[in-house]
Amino acid sequence: MERKGIVTRFALVSLLVLAVLGVVLPSGARSLVVQIMIFSIFAMGYDICLGYTNQCSLGHSMFFGAGAYGAILSIMSFKLGLIPALGVALVAGFVFAFLLGLICVRLSEAYFVIVTAIISAVFHLLAMDMTWLTGGDDGLSTTIPPVFGLSLYNPYVNYYFVFFFLLVSYLILRRIIGAPLGRIFISIRENPRRAHFLGYNITRYKLIAFVLSGVFGALAGALYTMTMRYASADYFNFYWSVLPIVWCLIGGTGTLAGCWIGVALMSLFQYYVSAWFTHYLLLFGILILIILKVSRRGMLGYFAGRG
Amino acid sequence: MPEWLLNVLFLLMNGLIWGLIIALIALGLSLIFGVMGIVNMAHGDLYMVGAVLAFYLIPLLGSFWLALLVVPLIIAVIAAPIERFILRPYEGHHAVTMIATVGISFILQQAALATYGGIPKKMADPWDVTFNLFGVSYPGYRLLIAGISIVILAAIWLFLYRTSYGVLIRASIQDKNMAAAMGIDVNRVLIGTFVLGSVLAAIGGVLAAPITQVFYLMGADVALLAFIVVIIGGLGSLGGTLVAALSLCAIEGVMSAVLNPTLSKAAIFVVMIVILMIRPRGLFGEAEH
Repeated sequence: MERKGIVTRFALVSLLVLAVLGVVLPSGARSLVVQIMIFSIFAMGYDICLGYTNQCSLGHSMFFGAGAYGAILSIMSFKLGLIPALGVALVAGFVFAFLLGLICVRLSEAYFVIVTAIISAVFHLLAMDMTWLTGGDDGLSTTIPPVFGLSLYNPYVNYYFVFFFLLVSYLILRRIIGAPLGRIFISIRENPRRAHFLGYNITRYKLIAFVLSGVFGALAGALYTMTMRYASADYFNFYWSVLPIVWCLIGGTGTLAGCWIGVALMSLFQYYVSAWFTHYLLLFGILILIILKVSRRGMLGYFAGRG
Repeated sequence: MPEWLLNVLFLLMNGLIWGLIIALIALGLSLIFGVMGIVNMAHGDLYMVGAVLAFYLIPLLGSFWLALLVVPLIIAVIAAPIERFILRPYEGHHAVTMIATVGISFILQQAALATYGGIPKKMADPWDVTFNLFGVSYPGYRLLIAGISIVILAAIWLFLYRTSYGVLIRASIQDKNMAAAMGIDVNRVLIGTFVLGSVLAAIGGVLAAPITQVFYLMGADVALLAFIVVIIGGLGSLGGTLVAALSLCAIEGVMSAVLNPTLSKAAIFVVMIVILMIRPRGLFGEAEH
């Protein structure tokens, strides 16, 4: 109970701070915070998969990429508005996650991580290869249509647009975790065999969690594209599959809001360290090892566990 | 012989030779997974390190054979502490080992980028002889690769099935706890297996260095193929790994006559998905207890 209280309080305070920050921050820092919020949506979705049903997927770059391309292609090719484009991105994420989930969730843990990694690697290769559709490594860039008469090119609109989706995502996911569905997720994480004996169809619930996290990955991808006005095949890169794991591990798995800390720390780390050190991925690798060594439950899990 | 048949024959042969190299690498991956429960995402990078070392050491030592001997020794010195000090606590937890080895993979890649540079380089054939096969000249070095790979694979088989140390490894694959209870020094088996697996990857790198481009990201493609091979063959099944490596690379080689490299990879990937749908543990994988 104690632990849950800390996490909720943390989430509410962060959301309040974020709501204020949009007005007061200078523009450079504001765009960094926008990025952090987008990645937070991605990380929360991933947490449903990793933290709540114990499925360590290495394929989430695919959903991020699917969302990004779903959004940018429907804006570029079909001249859709912003909201329909978001819808298309979510559907794309859903379809990809559902198909991939059908193949993967019933596999054992080792097969699951390897097969998700293989599938996303193959899609990365395909995305790099099909330049007529994806623009390959150079990517596609476009002008973003306004939403309800407001242009996303206005940094304040952009900030609160993303903030709105962060807020909604958090509320939806929190509601799901609090609902019976979330309880089943947790019971599968804690003891899959016992959950199975209780009569739950584990494969189905794992699939639901997987698809859910895929859809939020796609949402993040779409928002990222809309903010950057750009998408490239690089969004399918393996790196984008590793990042959510690191975010969740730093912040604390199974806490939803905890991964925001991970995202914020990693984004700051990336922003400042990559500026003065070319081989920042080297430090990233060392960081991964240190995180695993210190606490596998993440920072928030660590503090909440002591409280 | 008609032209197209000859063409297919050579593609098949290139595919099989590449398959032998992949078999070495995938065997290491499979062995490490089978004994230690490590999903080694850094395996492709050990292959890359092997190739980079070969790039420097073959001209330096002046002998391909000496390099083939020295590179595995260097890799052994790198791999043993990785197992002992980084991976040991996570062994058996597949997802955690995977994350940890991703970290190691980034470190190895960036270390190679910092020292070797980011530009793909081509090195000279260490054995510059061509054979006349059906009226077409065929590089002798490729045949040499095939020979060396077959010898190493045979040696591994003899080691695993005809020596007492091999019995220890196979016992540890079947049941680690029971093996420990029988008084087997599991510690030594663990380090030994990880080093053996890594050395196999590095040997693959040395053999492949002259026929591909040496590049700090060259491990990614090979790791992808090796993982597909191991999944299709069945995790931890050594025979399955060998069969899958040869047949997949032969298929990929022949398909490259009609498809571009990415599409032939995608085709192999489709094969993997179909096999996984029918047999979730691969062709030769055994059910978990």
